[in-house]
Amino acid sequence: MTSVKIKICWSSIISRLGLFALIWWILTDGAAPSWWIGVPAVLLAVITSAALIPPVSLVWYEFLRFVPFFLVRSLTGGVDVAWRAFHPGMAIAPDLITYPLRLPPGLPRVFMANTVSLLPGTLSVELGSNFLQVHVLDARKEFLPELEKVEQGVARIFGASLKDSKGGECNAAI
Amino acid sequence: MQLTDFLTLLLLLAGAGFFLAGTVGLLRFPDVYTRLHALTKADNVGLGLVVAGLVLQAESWAAMGKLLLIWLLVLLASASVAHLVARTALQKGIRPWKR
Repeated sequence: MTSVKIKICWSSIISRLGLFALIWWILTDGAAPSWWIGVPAVLLAVITSAALIPPVSLVWYEFLRFVPFFLVRSLTGGVDVAWRAFHPGMAIAPDLITYPLRLPPGLPRVFMANTVSLLPGTLSVELGSNFLQVHVLDARKEFLPELEKVEQGVARIFGASLKDSKGGECNAAI
Repeated sequence: MQLTDFLTLLLLLAGAGFFLAGTVGLLRFPDVYTRLHALTKADNVGLGLVVAGLVLQAESWAAMGKLLLIWLLVLLASASVAHLVARTALQKGIRPWKR
């Protein structure tokens, strides 16, 4: 048996407490009596999430910078695929490409895979140990610059380096 | 009709257009991978526009938050599910359609 060392990261607990309380407030329209159930529910959610997901350090400033990029690109993605769907000759030339991943394993990679699926013309197919297989809708277009841009953005959000990946410290964690 | 009502109408119609495009793509595209492209991207933009239109009509901050929460949840679910469907298809040996 290996003993599991549990390190309590208070900044992470407090951020999650705030996040789940906000979600409860939204769901119940801020009705005061609902907190009789809301407080235990929020506490249980914090305990469950602490057990399932270790603290993640997020760089909030970088996250906020990523949001407009994501919104614009996913809107472009929708317009792009809508145009191809309506196009009489269906302007598609699909292919599978493999992108070598440099992000650290875990949440950053999952975040990248999900983001890629919502960007124009790309769909994450397989997330391997050091690669991401991407289905592209039109292989005549250049995809690598965009994928690199996404990877760098995700690395900045999680405060990770693309060269040597090491576990982050527990500061400003969620 | 107020300006916000007009904007809501515009956003809802644009959203419906993207849902239509997603469905057309689902019907016309040749294989599972290309169909997933149409569904995830067009429907997310469609729902995003519908949510944006409804946020303008929201009567409270909580209602506004609820709409945004729905959009985020669908965004996360559709991206994850698209990835799982595509991965399973590839593992079962379904070759992507090529021109």
